[in-house]
Amino acid sequence: MSRRLSWGLGLLLIAGLVLGGLFVLPFRSWLPGGTVADVPNRLVVNGTALNRLFPAPEAGEKLVFTQEKRGFSQARLKQGDAVRALLSISDVTTSPASRAKFSSSGSALAGWPLVEQGDQSSALLVADRFQVKVIGQGAGLSLDERHELLGAFNLQALAALNPASAQKALPQKAQAPSLPTPSQGARASLAAPSPAAPASAKRLAALKAARAAAHRETAVLTPAA
Amino acid sequence: MSTTVLERLERLPHRNLTVLALRGISTLVPGGWTNITSAEAMIHEVLGSADPELTRQVRDRADELSRARHEGYARALSLYDAVNRSQKAAGGLRVLANVAGALPLVKRLTLFTPANETLQAADLSLKVAAEMLAFTQVNGLPGDSFGDFGASLTEYTSEARVRMAALVCFDAFLPLGDQALQRLDGLLGRVASHELRQLPAYVGMAPLIPGRGDQAHLSFLRRSVDQWVGWADGFASQLGLTGQRTVRALETTIGPWHGGFEQLAIFLDAFTDTYAHTGVQAVARRLVERAAAEI
Repeated sequence: MSRRLSWGLGLLLIAGLVLGGLFVLPFRSWLPGGTVADVPNRLVVNGTALNRLFPAPEAGEKLVFTQEKRGFSQARLKQGDAVRALLSISDVTTSPASRAKFSSSGSALAGWPLVEQGDQSSALLVADRFQVKVIGQGAGLSLDERHELLGAFNLQALAALNPASAQKALPQKAQAPSLPTPSQGARASLAAPSPAAPASAKRLAALKAARAAAHRETAVLTPAA
Repeated sequence: MSTTVLERLERLPHRNLTVLALRGISTLVPGGWTNITSAEAMIHEVLGSADPELTRQVRDRADELSRARHEGYARALSLYDAVNRSQKAAGGLRVLANVAGALPLVKRLTLFTPANETLQAADLSLKVAAEMLAFTQVNGLPGDSFGDFGASLTEYTSEARVRMAALVCFDAFLPLGDQALQRLDGLLGRVASHELRQLPAYVGMAPLIPGRGDQAHLSFLRRSVDQWVGWADGFASQLGLTGQRTVRALETTIGPWHGGFEQLAIFLDAFTDTYAHTGVQAVARRLVERAAAEI
């Protein structure tokens, strides 16, 4: 190697290091991209897709969206000036630990496993992927009020956001809206044959439509999509 | 970046000039303000339960979220810090100038201090813009959604209302007079780009403000202030905020004040950090709300 070339290469290397050190390192924390657990962005559903699935507020109530991030969306349910509850949907892809608690769940709502956390919060795991949660604020909510709110989310469209489990969810939906018996978890009902074929076909069509709508709004939902 | 948001919350002072000033101003705001400096207390309040295992889970998740660089919680704090540093530096200079103005030999020092109203207005607009940028960082909405910002201002609850009251009173009414909000746009129109660059906060914030060049940034500032003034005007008249009432409210906690409004503003700038204090509390609450929803 000629002397000039090695000098050139050396200088280039030093300049690169200095520039990299000056420009990239101090701003590392400002660079965009990534998710909480460094899961690739395309594996996590964007919050925009979740916003539409929140329950419609009743008369005298107001729904105020407070946070919208990748894999997370949160709103406050307000009555007048008082906050009654925090409603949220999160994609558990970024927090595997929160999925684990549902494995010991003894109850279900609309066919999905249900867990109570403390006195004021109820969580539902939809399609083995989306955690829907209601946390009572201020004066608090009763257990039934929280479950009613959970049921008011558009759970069917939410399940449809995860294509892999949408088909699995179908038989449960066709069979019964709620399975409160502890022995029957979400998966226990999978083997049961669907009783009414035409009804389930209609549901399938509705589900497909919901999925198509969801795809139009968000560019990439899952790697499979 | 190593300190998490909740650690910052726990390091906030329990009782100092900042807390007293905020407590004073909160007497003007219905609903009041409690100085929460304990992460546990905040988690219990959000969760509605004091279960130690749940509290630990929320805390772990919150720390993970505040360490994740693109989630914006830590970034919002650094915005507040930048504004706070600049406010303290400018306030310190002005205190020095006030003292120096009385001494014959160093009188000339006063010539170098940025004390005029235009700069005061620019300073206020930077704080409003920082508030808006921090809002988008924490809430994750598109970077220049003025409409969203305006709509969410009306949804500000206790802590945030006190923080806005402090902003209106300490940075608008005291230094600029009771007509501050009406005059603000006119004052900002007179700010030249070289004057903007004199503000230390602007230098720190410039890369985060949408648009290229000082002129673009200035128009961004004016637009965000425009959005804010509309709301702040209603807020101030609803609560009846004025310079006089601010001084009286502050006197209930800090003690009697015999100087002018402007001196009080300078004193508050130099010796309190109300903006960063309430900022940490507001960001911590949003962070805990999210962590509680995700565990």
